Amino acid sequence: MNNPNMPGTPKSKFLQSVRDALGREDVPPTQPYRRLTETQAELEEQTAQMRKRLEDRLPTLLDKLAQMAALGGWKVHRASGAEDAIDYIQSVARESGTTSIARSTQDVFEQVPVDAALSNLGIKVTTILWDEDMPRETLREEIRQSGIGITGADYALAETGSLVVLPRRGLARLISVVPPVHIALVRAKDLLETLDDLFLLRRLEYHQQGGEMGSYLNLITGPSRTADIEMTIVEGVHGPKEVHMIILG
Amino acid sequence: MPEIKTQDFTAASSQAILDPKLRRALDRVAEGFHVARLDRIEEVTQETWDGWKDQAREIKVHTIEHLDYYLDLLDKNVAAAGGQLHFAKDADEANEIVAHIVRTRDIKVATKSKSMVSEELSLNPVLESLGVEVWETDLGEYIIQLAEETPSHLVAPALHKSKEDVAALFTDKLGIPYDEDIYNMAATARTVLRDKFMEADLGISGANFVVAETGTLVIISNEGNGRLCTSAPRVHIGITGMEKIIPSMQDLSTFLRLLPRSATGQRITSYVSMTTGPRRSDDEDGPEEFHLILVDNGRSKMLADPNLREALYCIRCGACLNICPVYSRIGGHAYGWVYPGPIGAVVSPMLVGLAKAKELPQASSLCGACREVCPINIDIPKMLLNLRTKTAESPDSTQRTAPEMERVLARLYAKLMSSPRLLKIAVRFGRFAQKIERITPFFSPLTKDGKWIRKAHLPILSRWTRSRDLPTLPKQTFHEIWQKELSDE
Repeated sequence: MNNPNMPGTPKSKFLQSVRDALGREDVPPTQPYRRLTETQAELEEQTAQMRKRLEDRLPTLLDKLAQMAALGGWKVHRASGAEDAIDYIQSVARESGTTSIARSTQDVFEQVPVDAALSNLGIKVTTILWDEDMPRETLREEIRQSGIGITGADYALAETGSLVVLPRRGLARLISVVPPVHIALVRAKDLLETLDDLFLLRRLEYHQQGGEMGSYLNLITGPSRTADIEMTIVEGVHGPKEVHMIILG
Repeated sequence: MPEIKTQDFTAASSQAILDPKLRRALDRVAEGFHVARLDRIEEVTQETWDGWKDQAREIKVHTIEHLDYYLDLLDKNVAAAGGQLHFAKDADEANEIVAHIVRTRDIKVATKSKSMVSEELSLNPVLESLGVEVWETDLGEYIIQLAEETPSHLVAPALHKSKEDVAALFTDKLGIPYDEDIYNMAATARTVLRDKFMEADLGISGANFVVAETGTLVIISNEGNGRLCTSAPRVHIGITGMEKIIPSMQDLSTFLRLLPRSATGQRITSYVSMTTGPRRSDDEDGPEEFHLILVDNGRSKMLADPNLREALYCIRCGACLNICPVYSRIGGHAYGWVYPGPIGAVVSPMLVGLAKAKELPQASSLCGACREVCPINIDIPKMLLNLRTKTAESPDSTQRTAPEMERVLARLYAKLMSSPRLLKIAVRFGRFAQKIERITPFFSPLTKDGKWIRKAHLPILSRWTRSRDLPTLPKQTFHEIWQKELSDE
């Protein structure tokens, strides 16, 4: 990967100039940073405690998620079951007047099968799942033509009312940012309480997967917005104008 | 580097303060961001807030003190994730790296999300000279780019533009009918830029944080342009200052709690986008290549000065701008370079050289509000004082603010004040001079009651009395009263 023609300062020289500025020798911190010395076993232990806490407080935390998500700009719907969730998605689709919807391939759609219900409304549903025979541009164009993007969640954070999405087969990055409407399906088992919970889990997974973080992690909280002209808030500037969080359970 | 106008600070600020439109715009920002910020603190309680601030500072202190170590760790982890880290000692080198990538990857169109460091590098002209079409995609930055101006606030770059200004600009540059409806203008930007996001070969972003432990770049935004810039094009280049590094992914919690609340008064922004390397082989989308350019460009000078090192803890939230009685009256452009406000008055002199920016540290009443609102407890007034000391005592005369004559007078004044005998003589002479001035209308520097000197017609003294009133000498000095009446008791 390293190209000898690439301009820039060689790392050794750059680090030396930093050391010179600091008056430091080339040594690790004498007091190593607590978090970087944690072992996988310690992270597992902390995660187990976290899981226990989440379990104990589940009903309260679901309420908190709904409350904070609404404050963050999500239209929150607490679904009594799959049928109710599908009804809600149908009503959003109807109201938007769209003829084309893109959805991710995630197991939540086995629990909430939306395709038939949307097809019944005359809407074309594209399931996002890339394979090697398909040019990535085709996938992108499908997403771009869609009026609504529907995804599941990797996690949802009660602290901030955020949806968390991670890279996985069947979930494009663009599906939650390009269509003007985004619907997210959140299950009780996706729930986390705080940002600390999320990053603890990610660190554990990073260790478990031998130092693989995955190419991205997106926290999404409410619609896309700007206040760059006269501090007036406008929603839907580059990303979706309307975002729905359906909480199952 | 962009054109440096810091040396024109006095003239530029004198002019800016007379602009009522700018003043209204600044009030709107100060009011909006500051009030929301206070609401958020009240919500979590001051105690919790202070705890977060202490944590954040502790992390920053540790990281900056061991910056070489964390840079090395970051480099390894960016590489492990399939990306490439580049080190640039200055703006030219950073631009050369981008130019090299552009040339070898056949880049035609680039989209950019907000990056103050790229302003510092003046990257856009470099890209344009290589024949690359560059699109700023943050709405504020897009407006600034169309207007061929520079940002005037760290968070709200186009705050100095009214909706009428923007409408006229869009009509002029995009050839659309004049429409000052803010919603329609945002929709126009969406439409224009949507095509560019999809067309672009290169996405350039800044970084709010980079995580050494995992090689992750973190961008905080509300519009979603950052996500599009880092997802749609086939090459992603992140450019940021070398101080933006934090050790662990878990450190992010604290900063994600502090930054949006301090910047815009939001609990969290619409998007926190973290990217680690390019897309993996089975990802649905994302860039094929990821480059991270870390820029020194004068930062090691701050690092080497223990009095100014803490300026590198800054997370660019802009809270010190919003609260500052100077910034909120003159706006960002008067500061003459990329970083405005109290933190800019520290950073700019270090990055462009004190000789050119020696007026900036004077642009403060030292009221301490910036220190109070800073989420990292950065002692900005202390650093401003330190820089003022440098501008007074530097052996390099180009860095000094006062004319040589003033320095001579100040030294004489010090002598005078430390010798009772000389002081007595001087007081007598002063009284005599005041008397003469009162009877000669040519001087007439005193007010009618004779208590204040409002305008002195003496070469050095007039610099002082232009903006300050000096008390006249009293009939009796304390020394004289003491000797006559009190010394016996």
